[in-house]
Amino acid sequence: MSSVLDVVLSSAFLAAVLRVATPYLLAAFGGLVAERAGISNIGLEGQMLSAACTGALVAGYSGSVTAGAVCGIAVAALLGLLLAALRLELGADAIIAGIGLNLLASGATAYTVFTFLDDKGGTSGLKSGTLPTVALPGIESIPVLGDVLSGQNTVTWLAFLAAPAVAWLFYRTRFGFHLRAVGEMPEAAASVGIAVRRVQYAGLALSGALAGLAGVFLSMGYVSFFVRDMTAGRGFIALAAVFLGGLRPWGVFLAALGFGAAEALAVQLGTLDVPPQLVSTIPYALTLVALAVYAWRRKRRGAGEVTAASM
Amino acid sequence: MRHGRSAALAVAGALALTACGGSGGDDNSGAAASGKPRIKLVINGGLGDKSFFDSAYEGLKKAEKDLGYELKVVELGSDRTKWEPGFEDAAAADDYDILAAGTFEVTDYIGELAPQYPDKKFWLFDAPVDYTGKNGTCSNKCENVYSVTFKQNEGGYLAGFLAEKLVAGKSLKGAESLKKVGVMPGVKIPVIDDFVVGFKAGFKDAGGKNSDVLVQYVGGDKPFGDPAKGKEISTAMYGQGAALVWPVAGLSGLGTFESAVSAGRYTFGVDSDQYQTLTDQAQKNTVVTSILKNVGNALYKAAQDDKKDSLKYGAVDTVGLADDAVGYVNDDHFKELVPQKTRTALQQAADKVKSGSVTVPSAL
Repeated sequence: MSSVLDVVLSSAFLAAVLRVATPYLLAAFGGLVAERAGISNIGLEGQMLSAACTGALVAGYSGSVTAGAVCGIAVAALLGLLLAALRLELGADAIIAGIGLNLLASGATAYTVFTFLDDKGGTSGLKSGTLPTVALPGIESIPVLGDVLSGQNTVTWLAFLAAPAVAWLFYRTRFGFHLRAVGEMPEAAASVGIAVRRVQYAGLALSGALAGLAGVFLSMGYVSFFVRDMTAGRGFIALAAVFLGGLRPWGVFLAALGFGAAEALAVQLGTLDVPPQLVSTIPYALTLVALAVYAWRRKRRGAGEVTAASM
Repeated sequence: MRHGRSAALAVAGALALTACGGSGGDDNSGAAASGKPRIKLVINGGLGDKSFFDSAYEGLKKAEKDLGYELKVVELGSDRTKWEPGFEDAAAADDYDILAAGTFEVTDYIGELAPQYPDKKFWLFDAPVDYTGKNGTCSNKCENVYSVTFKQNEGGYLAGFLAEKLVAGKSLKGAESLKKVGVMPGVKIPVIDDFVVGFKAGFKDAGGKNSDVLVQYVGGDKPFGDPAKGKEISTAMYGQGAALVWPVAGLSGLGTFESAVSAGRYTFGVDSDQYQTLTDQAQKNTVVTSILKNVGNALYKAAQDDKKDSLKYGAVDTVGLADDAVGYVNDDHFKELVPQKTRTALQQAADKVKSGSVTVPSAL
């Protein structure tokens, strides 16, 4: 047990939490923005995957990681717009359209990579590089804290800055008010002159862009290449974090960070004498427990409201 | 709304259809026009894994070129729900003489299909069908199925033996003070655990302690296709003092080579010669050797034997070190990193396994 404690308190573990949580955080904020705009973005997984693929390919061929990241994010934002268009213009069910988007992304990325590189596995044969890490002169030399914070990828910093940024956007800006109003009750929003569709399109583009940044981190930060289906369900875990976090920025932040910590813990504990099947269930078991708690709390709150109303 | 939902469903369905039907190809050849025996390789996954399936494909491609076969490949993708219908379709189409497939996950499909198509031949690699016919499959005792399995535990044994000799001899530059080594298997299934069991036995026989072998499975949604998680696990192992990490996890292993570069440590490759398949020189340099599992060679040999009508159907063929189906890469890079004394010791250990004087434990 003491070795478990050693692991949890080590700087290597804390640094790993930040790394592992990065894609969860960004994708979860993407899911949150879409959800608050009134359109569920089930396509997070596909948007991440497309961005990861585009990023690595563009960076590999242009030689510029910045160009790769920008193109990756742009493609994911376009897919967000596509989802919005399917929902708003054609009246498609957002869940089903999102699933279709994920299927499309899985097939299209593999096909694109095969077309360019004649490799069905991924872009590991293409040198594409990673986004820069942030060195912190001064902090670097502080024990533990320096090891944890220094040398993290730029995108990790952006992921953590995204929490206050999204909170500010939601509660301090005109766009945020409009977004939430549109998501709550589009008819009411329209009646006071808010351009409902335009707000929803913008929200879904932003949602896709955030998922795109998460995807770019996978192929240009975590590792330096794209592998087919490399998102490996991260988009869906992020979606769970959106609901677990009660659709509020800081709640989502904590939920996504919790999932990251659970996975990092599973990684660090894996080499100890704990059955591997048990360890690899940690993130999933935690997801289920957390969702059950969320549902239970909501039910209780719901019951309370009914009682209050009947009185 | 209702209308929109069904439209979207149709789109999703069409996408799924294109995804799985894409590799079917244009085949209207009811009989072999060229008179060549036709092999159809059905892959429950995809090519491009740089190891297992790619090796099978290479071997059969060579058989096509050298031995006068016709080869067709069907990739079923990673969605398991499409595997069973995929195999049924592949077997029902009369465009093949030999259907080749691999991994333990397809044994039941082959066991079901072989009795339904008694005039076709089936080759199953890396797992045996249930030849007894007592468990619901193989109602004809699978007398038209040739299975070949590999003694990957022997390859694992050599990896473990070499790993211990390298750390005990302080031969790895930059990692002289470290005693531990890591193994990163994809999932806990017998055929993968067979590598691990062999590794531990070899490590012990070379004089190491089992507690110095760190083992961690990738697991999760894509155990053989999640390089980010592979990198995280490898980084953790190097952090816990592993001098080298041996990934046995397909594409997840690509993360290991990256983390080895940043940690300044070492790796072993698996299945294929990964010094050759990697492109980045810094990553190549971390690969001491690769433990080969020559699926392709075994299939090529099967093709040779089948031409001579000497391939044994209705039975399992188990091949290992003695058949050159399992082995390690002995190239210049290996010679540069591994001292002469260790290389000789490793060769001797391999000879002992080959001659049978050392029996390697197995997870199968």
